[in-house]
Order: sequence, then C-alpha cells, then structure tokens
Amino acid sequence: MDALTLELLNGVSLFAILAIVALGLGIVFGLMGVINLAHGEFVMLGAYVAYVVHTVGLNHWLSVPLAAVVLFVLGVVIEVGLIRRIHRQPELTILATFGLSVCLRQIAELVFSKDFQSVPNPVPGATRAFGVLFPTYRYLLIAIAAVIVAATLLAFTRSRFGLVVRAIVADRDLAESAGIRTGMTNLCAFGVGAATAGIAGALVAPLGAVEPQAGLAYLPGAFLVVIVGGYNRLWGVAVGALAVAAVQTGVIHFYDAVWAQIASLALAVLVLQFRRPTPAGAVA
Amino acid sequence: MRLEATDLRSGYGTVPVLHGVSLTVSSGEIVALVGRNGAGKTTLVRTVLGVLRSTGGALHLDGVDITRMPPSRRVRAGLRATFQERALFGALTVSDNLRLSGFGSESHDRMLDAFGPALSGRGSQRTGTLSGGEQKMLAAAIALSTDASLLVMDEPTEGLQPSNVALLGDHIESARDAGRGVLLIEQHLELAKRLADRFIVLEKGEIVDSGPASDPDLAARVARRLLI
Repeated sequence: MDALTLELLNGVSLFAILAIVALGLGIVFGLMGVINLAHGEFVMLGAYVAYVVHTVGLNHWLSVPLAAVVLFVLGVVIEVGLIRRIHRQPELTILATFGLSVCLRQIAELVFSKDFQSVPNPVPGATRAFGVLFPTYRYLLIAIAAVIVAATLLAFTRSRFGLVVRAIVADRDLAESAGIRTGMTNLCAFGVGAATAGIAGALVAPLGAVEPQAGLAYLPGAFLVVIVGGYNRLWGVAVGALAVAAVQTGVIHFYDAVWAQIASLALAVLVLQFRRPTPAGAVA
Repeated sequence: MRLEATDLRSGYGTVPVLHGVSLTVSSGEIVALVGRNGAGKTTLVRTVLGVLRSTGGALHLDGVDITRMPPSRRVRAGLRATFQERALFGALTVSDNLRLSGFGSESHDRMLDAFGPALSGRGSQRTGTLSGGEQKMLAAAIALSTDASLLVMDEPTEGLQPSNVALLGDHIESARDAGRGVLLIEQHLELAKRLADRFIVLEKGEIVDSGPASDPDLAARVARRLLI
C-alpha cells in the first residue's frame, strides 16, 4: 500500500513538472502556432538562473521570479528579432528555433562550461503524509505548479488579454480588423511562454543536474503534453500533463522508464487519430 | 475625415483583381459601390482595411498615407469595416465580440436593443449559433456603434429580413447624418438608391461609371449594369 502511495505521489510530482514545463509551450505552440524547438533551452536557462542565484549566495526562491523576468526579456528579444518575421511559416519557425536551441546551448556552454552543476535543495528532508515519507521540496513543487498553472489559466480565460489571445487564435485577420494589435499580443504571449519556462527551470533545478543539454530532456515531454491535451486550449496542458504523467507512472510501476516513454508516445499518436479537425483559423 | 484611394491595385497571389481603382469617401456622405459578383468589391474592402496588401497605388486617410499600415492601426486611425463573410468570432459570445471591439459591458444591452429584436437580449449567446442574418446585423451593429469616422460595409444587408434591412438603413443614414463617411457595398439596389449620395460602379476590378445618386440617368445605368 505504501509503495502504491509513493508511486501516486511520484506521479503527481511528475504531473506538476510536466504541467509547468509544458505551460509555456502550450502558450507559444498552442496559441501562437509557433513550434518552438528552443523551449527546452528556455527551461535550461531558467535552471542556470537558479544556479547563478545559488553561486552568488542568494536565496533559491529569489531565482523563481528572477528567472521569469530574465526569460520574459529574452523571449521578447527573440520574438522581435526572429519569430515575428516568420511566425506564419511553420517550417521556418521549426528551422529557426532549432538553430536558436543550438545557439543557446553553445552560449550556455561558453559561459558555464559543459560541466554538470548542481543547485542544492532549498528545502531538504522529507515529510510524512498519507503514511509515507516524501521529499518536502516535491510537495512544495506540486503546490507551486498548481498555483502557477491555475493563475495562468485564469489569466488566459478570464482577462481581456486572454479574450484577445483567443480571438487571435480563432482568426488573426479578423482580430486585426477589430483593432487588436496582434503583433503586440504575440510579443506578450511569447514573453509569457518563455517566462513560464524560466520559472519551470528554476523550480526543477534542485532536482537534477544543471548543464547545457538539460533542456533536451524536457522538450519531448512538453510536446507530448500539448499534443495530448490539445493545441488550442490552454487548460488542455493540465489535462495532457495528467494523462502523460498517469501513463508514465503506471508503466514505470509495471515495466520501466523506456516503456513509459514509448507508452506516452503511443498515447499521443492515439489521441491524434481521434482528434477532430480544429475550427477554421484555429492553430493546428 | 476623407478616405482617398489612388490607382489602388491588389489581388491574390499572381492573380490581379483590382486594376487601379481611384475613389474618395468624405465625412457626411454615403458612397454606394455596386457591381456584379466577381467585380472586385470584396477585394477592395479587404485592401482598404489592409487585410489584403495592395500591390500598387496609395491609400490616404485624412492625408495620412495608410497604404502600408497594418489593419489594427487603420482601425485606430478611424477606419472600420464589416466583411461579407467571417465578420465575427463565432466561438465567442456576442458580448465577447463586443468587448473585443472596445465596448464596455455596461453598454452591451443598450447597443443590442438599438438594433431591434434580432439582437436584443442575445449578449450571452454564442455568436456562431445566431442565424446568418443575425450575425450580419451584429457585425453591422458593432461597426456602426464604434466611433470610427469612416465605415466600409460589405453587403451588410445580405440575408436580412426586410424589416431589418430598413432598420439597418436607418442606422446607416444616422451615421451619415452624424458626419461619418460610409462606403457601402450593396447588392440591394433599392436600399442603395435610398441611402447613397454617390454611386460608383465597379466591373472587372475597374471603375466604369460614377456620379451623384440624384442623376436619374446614372441610376438607370446602374440598374442596367446590375441586371445584364
């Protein structure tokens, strides 16, 4: 029973990590239609922000808002300098963001070296709950991820900004004709997407090695979440993360991590078979 | 406010549709643009609003060159258009469509009531579930209720029942009387005759006839061209 509880908690923890990593991708890919292959590198840079905060002796929790700000600014610069010119051409965005991901990894390597760095756990130890001991930091991670995902969903569904984004997703030309500055909205959406990736990076930094290739591990999972949850609705990120985490945790429990990855991929393929065509103008 | 198109050209891909259209629309006048299907009327509306890029010529709004401006800047400069098709966000509610056009929620009911029973009390309804005529009415209502100085309306009465055609005509007339300029693309010739101060006839992407609506010869020529 304890083993099952522990697996469930691991599953919830994985769900939290997947949701928070995929959230930015859900905004950028799902809402703007930009296939951002550099999203994992945004997560990696967020982790490096946490590393820098640690090396200069500041509190780890400071790295979370700092990573958001740094990545928001970087996202804005990338949107203006690169994405804006090509975002209506999916094949070009794939190539450009792939190139960007390589550049960001090389820059991280030049600045921080190839070496694995670590960020100490700011809340070491375990908490006994539901009859088992589970790392306290992971409990915190689950709570923080839930708050961030819920706040982002609320912002995108209840605010005027969210309404504007949904209008642009539905019909960009019509949105422009209604006086909506789609370019500015894209800029904000890309910045927010990058910022959430940065937050994810800072939060997951204490859980593993911080190194230039670290982002590569997050990209496939994040895309699977967005594909499974649906491209053009942000709450789909939460649903997708839940489904992928459930499949991965279940398969790991009975088999191993390799089969878990295969099962997640199979889930995405299965979902794509049954997905209805998106409405005209929606991002697909 | 004065909209001036000079030798305006545009098209789709390599297919030219407008072959150098020059026209003006000034404050306080309704200019009816008529022409048969395929004449280039909708292309002209899309080019004037900037959804379709012009391939030549120039567009000025009150002397300001707007030829390369994105549509949202043209809207903020005082231009507003209703499209013949895809004029609203069907997945959003009527109120959301109003909010997107800058109307505060306190004004929604009043605004919808002003356009008769077709729209009254429909604020919370998903726009895509309105009938085609109701959607046309809503799109026209939104454009007419904005503070845009110049309106370009692409067949706003298409699919409307006669009582709503008359009501919409009254609103367009009121807009003109309030000093706004209207470029009205209209197949409903009787309404165009009732409202227009000037007629422009478009054929195969070119203006082939124009003049004051009070000219009985022109009215007869317009009717003949549309019937042939």
